[in-house]
Amino acid sequence: MTTASPPTVDGADRRPPSTGRAAAAPSPVAAAAGWLVKNPLLVLLVVMVAGVQLATGSQLGWGNLRGVFLDAAVIAIVAAPVAMLVIAGYIDLSVGSTLALGGVVAGKVVQSGASPLVAVGCALLAGAAVGVVNAVLATVFGLSSFIVTLGMLTAVRGVAQLVSPLPLSNFGEAFGFLGIGNVAGIPLPALLAVAVLLAAGVFLTRTPAGRHVYAIGVNREAAYLSGVDVRRIPFLLFVTSGAAAGLAGAITVARLNSAPAGQLGAGFELSVITAVLLGGIALTGGEGSMVDVLVGVLFMGLLRNGLTLLGVTTFWQNVASGLALVAAIAIAAGTHVVRGKMQAREAHRPDEAAATG
Amino acid sequence: MTVSIRGLTKRYGPTLALDDVDLDIAAGEVHALLGHNGAGKSTVIKCLGGGTAPSAGSITIGGTTYDALDPRSSIAAGIAVIYQHLSLIDRLDVTENLFLGQETTTAGVFLRRADQRSRAVRLLERVGLDVSPDTPVRQLTIGQRQLVEIAKALSRDARLLVLDEPSAALSPVESRRLADLVRLLKAEGIAVLYVTHLLNEVVELADRTTVMRDGRVVWSQPMAGVSKTDLVTAVSGRAHGAAVAPRPVDPDTPPALAVDHLEAPGLHDVSLVVRPGEIVGLYGLVGSGRSRLLETLFGRRPVTSGTVAVDGRTVRVRRPDDALRAGLALVPGDRLRQGLFGSLSSGENTVLRVMSLTARAGWRRPRAEQEVFRNTAAAFGLRPADPEVPVSRLSGGNQQKVLIARWVNDRAGTRVLLLDDPTQGVDVGARAEIYEVLRQVAAERGLAVLFASNDPDEVVALAQRCLVMRRGRVVDDLDMRHTGEEQLLDLIHTELEPS
Repeated sequence: MTTASPPTVDGADRRPPSTGRAAAAPSPVAAAAGWLVKNPLLVLLVVMVAGVQLATGSQLGWGNLRGVFLDAAVIAIVAAPVAMLVIAGYIDLSVGSTLALGGVVAGKVVQSGASPLVAVGCALLAGAAVGVVNAVLATVFGLSSFIVTLGMLTAVRGVAQLVSPLPLSNFGEAFGFLGIGNVAGIPLPALLAVAVLLAAGVFLTRTPAGRHVYAIGVNREAAYLSGVDVRRIPFLLFVTSGAAAGLAGAITVARLNSAPAGQLGAGFELSVITAVLLGGIALTGGEGSMVDVLVGVLFMGLLRNGLTLLGVTTFWQNVASGLALVAAIAIAAGTHVVRGKMQAREAHRPDEAAATG
Repeated sequence: MTVSIRGLTKRYGPTLALDDVDLDIAAGEVHALLGHNGAGKSTVIKCLGGGTAPSAGSITIGGTTYDALDPRSSIAAGIAVIYQHLSLIDRLDVTENLFLGQETTTAGVFLRRADQRSRAVRLLERVGLDVSPDTPVRQLTIGQRQLVEIAKALSRDARLLVLDEPSAALSPVESRRLADLVRLLKAEGIAVLYVTHLLNEVVELADRTTVMRDGRVVWSQPMAGVSKTDLVTAVSGRAHGAAVAPRPVDPDTPPALAVDHLEAPGLHDVSLVVRPGEIVGLYGLVGSGRSRLLETLFGRRPVTSGTVAVDGRTVRVRRPDDALRAGLALVPGDRLRQGLFGSLSSGENTVLRVMSLTARAGWRRPRAEQEVFRNTAAAFGLRPADPEVPVSRLSGGNQQKVLIARWVNDRAGTRVLLLDDPTQGVDVGARAEIYEVLRQVAAERGLAVLFASNDPDEVVALAQRCLVMRRGRVVDDLDMRHTGEEQLLDLIHTELEPS
């Protein structure tokens, strides 16, 4: 989080960045309370899982959760870079179609007899290419990223359909491993998602460029005047988000063992944005962490899964997911006020540190 | 109708912007309000216009007493504030602007355009503005827009007209026309609160003058028998006896900053030098080019021709990043919009650039960053010295220290520190501390400090030399050992006289 901590605070209890946090709370109870206020969704998540578990007996079991994690993994892989764009004050709505493009490209390459690794590489490249177009329009020409990526959402869908007018299928077992295979008993996509989240988290907290993402999102003008490269960083984030969507496409196709260019990843961009917002990352930029993304993604997946287990129909699940988003944002806004008041108290506290200099 | 302000007090967090202000404005009176930047004039205006609610005190207008006004009740009470930044809507025409929010309608729905237009013609005539009511506002000059705003105030039957530095952006001819209009409105029985920096206007127009300093009314008298010198004395207050005579810098020292025949949009043939350890003030009114010069040196604005050298090496600055690499740093004038990252911590705000300089192989080194924060926090007396506090919670003075620390520390390698209005929105005590910090960085680290200000008090308190700017040029280079505040005020105000 921040760079310098007061000598009295142990560095060990650090959490990846929320925005500036007031000084260490006096008691562990208060600290825990403060932490929960900052992460209301996590509390809700635990309550929800426990509730479902109690209501349904033990249906939550591993086999079921595995499916939840597979879905969540694909969303998380893309939500991580999209969240970074949101933190920097941008957005990427094109990821649904980019996923489709990456998927059909991977499918085509595999069917041509190339190795699955080459196919994944091509999907990454195809996605990155979409990202470059987004990046050039949004950062070099300074167009609104909302409009640019909304346009690209439609355009890239068309490109995907041009690449593969007919649905592809049967890619073979080797490629299928990418979608459903286990490594050490854990699904490969989940491992990839964890790797992406970790890498993004480390980047955001441990590198200057990562901190600049926040600076740009909070105050672009001030960042520019502080010598931050306010174009290059968002540029690279767009490319990353494109590449991640391409990868997600390859995984999805491998898992489905088919690649319908028209339907693949339809509405995916909304799931990604919903997860990002659910996690508490503000669309206004400058705030959020990869923990938030993880919580958002899991919450969404487990909510749907829980409702399914409880026998709620898909239609009502949609209603619930939508309301959950609105509720989560309302809660986030509410806790923001509480947090603000807490910080105000902290800042007006007579200062001990000044005496010692 | 008389407007009485009683005990008006406004707190912004720990800062006291207004402290128990009393002010009376009689009908048919022009009441001038004088004071330096940060004296509290604009806060009084905001309280009157309903832009902010006072922490204590009351405003009485025509027999009704208000504890606080909002924009709507302010208009309803007969107050019209003409802000420096005018609030007309560019895309609408004059008539539409005049009646915005109080449209004449049939059955509450349908605009009566013809009706509005003929009323607009009468209003424009009253303020002496000779343009068609169908002219889009964006085609008008600043002076004309101001008259439209005044006409709008008249259409609302304003009884108190508040003018916030109305002549700052006007040509001499427009200024004279405005003065005539003010006299006319006064004769109609309207009360006018005239906020300004310019003493000539006060002498010419005001019936009564109130001077504010540090949020308090320090002087208030009818203008009969009051001279310009009296006003200068009242405004300056001579309260800066503590100013330490700065150690003069040997004029043979090679300059840390040398600007040679710089030409840029809004700047003409600017040449200047600042030596290591020297603090130089850039003094001029709004629009004189002092901020523009700093922003141009820092790469925020383009250079047309001329050279800039830091420590004897010519540098080519196209972006702020280039300037920073060359050792040229700017603490911008608008702290909130251009300097601070509000929701980030003060630690992070401090080390934002240093982070890249201390990083190894792309990885941050938290320990090195912490050390930079600790050292600068201690050296500059930052309070609280806690890196985790969000910077938005610090007082103005401490925020300013954070911004100075961003550029001046053991790692940043800054050679020349540029500051635009270094004590904007900073209260008195903190102001002295900022001055101390700047003297310290000049003396101990041998930095060249160049700051822009329109506050003569500040120039006297801080600068060893003062460069006076007017219309984009440096017109004077004064040794502050032999120059007082009165001279500065006189210089700038006489020079501004319309010829």
